[in-house]
Amino acid sequence: MIIAAVLALYALFGVVALPRLLARGGWADRAPRLGIAMWHAACASVLTSAVLAVLVAAIPASVVGHGLADLFEACAALLSDATAVSPAGVLIALSSAGLVAGRLAYCAAAVLLKARRERREHSAMLGLLGRHDSTLGAVVLDHTEPIAYCLPGEGRTVITTGALRSLPPEEVAAVLAHEQAHLHGRHHLVVAVGEILCRAFPRVPLFQRARSEIARLIELQADDVAARRHARIHIASALVRLATGRVPAFSLGMGGENALTRVRRMLGPEIPLNRHERLTTVAAVGLLIAGPVALALTPGVSAFLTHHCHDLLAL
Amino acid sequence: MLRGLGDLESVVMDRMWSYRRPASVRDVLEDLRQERQIAYTTVMTVMDNLHKKGLLRREQVSRAYLYEATASKEAYTAELMRSTLANGGNRAATLVHFLERLTPEEAEALEAALQVYPPRGRSS
Repeated sequence: MIIAAVLALYALFGVVALPRLLARGGWADRAPRLGIAMWHAACASVLTSAVLAVLVAAIPASVVGHGLADLFEACAALLSDATAVSPAGVLIALSSAGLVAGRLAYCAAAVLLKARRERREHSAMLGLLGRHDSTLGAVVLDHTEPIAYCLPGEGRTVITTGALRSLPPEEVAAVLAHEQAHLHGRHHLVVAVGEILCRAFPRVPLFQRARSEIARLIELQADDVAARRHARIHIASALVRLATGRVPAFSLGMGGENALTRVRRMLGPEIPLNRHERLTTVAAVGLLIAGPVALALTPGVSAFLTHHCHDLLAL
Repeated sequence: MLRGLGDLESVVMDRMWSYRRPASVRDVLEDLRQERQIAYTTVMTVMDNLHKKGLLRREQVSRAYLYEATASKEAYTAELMRSTLANGGNRAATLVHFLERLTPEEAEALEAALQVYPPRGRSS
């Protein structure tokens, strides 16, 4: 019961405090890929501990202790004849775990299918409105505003004539490399995680922060990939031109902070995490994921050990 | 050269947009026949599809339909861009960047950041 309480408390703590803890220090801007992994791990960690808290509270350690075979047997017996074997608690626990999984699966399907439908419609319109430029490897749209984006899944990179006019060729190449990085890295699936969690469990601070941070970090990540082949100054300069060339009425109110971060980042040299920082971060990701599971298994494992190894212990 | 219906739709729409006046299937057919072999029924089917999709509107004049683009190409493009940018919320669909709204001060700060960048590094 103590374990269940600890897991539940941790889940509550994580939902509120993890967003602030993880955003501290700005280390993620230097290693966006790890930063994204950390946010994913934090979400998974909180979700699993919430589910495990219920499971641990309802399923006695002795059941786990008798070995996994017995556990499965108990589950099977429960499913075939729920009244005979187990307390209602187990049923509630299993069904609430099932509900969480089901809700996640449903929302994942909804978000991904909707996105795919939108992309297909968008792609069909691009077929009518744009022309493919094989030298650029992108669809060119006649439009005065400088815009560049990509359509994942359809594998299309789109750039407007406005952008082509306002950017010199080397900056166009840098922008397209950024978009290609999104496509090759399947970044739409990475950001979809945040969308799905927010849709499945709205108004959870951790998930909301994770969604916006992942969306932000994925841009930094694509900048980094583009910077492997293109001069950082070209990426920075393209960013400035694309960000400042927008007709104000057309833009969304998101604040220019992100653009400024990206430009400053590209103007300075790359400062990767040092060995120590990197190890700490990777360990933290591991701990976030494995911690709750390990904790939940502790009573089961110790019961298992006492059950099967008492001969050894007796020696 | 065989092309899919999707490609033909694009060709027909381009013609319709370039006319800037209503045209019948026959008009489009004759125009297209200057470049390729194509059957009347094919063009008719394509234009009927475009009408169903709402890209062309038509009215019956005597025995034939006269077709016209519902909106200009520019208007469609502007609408596509508007919906794409508005879709910034659904980032799983399109990854659009640089959609931040900049205040004049932020724009200035960006330009300034570029200006102070040491010129010797610019070639690197």
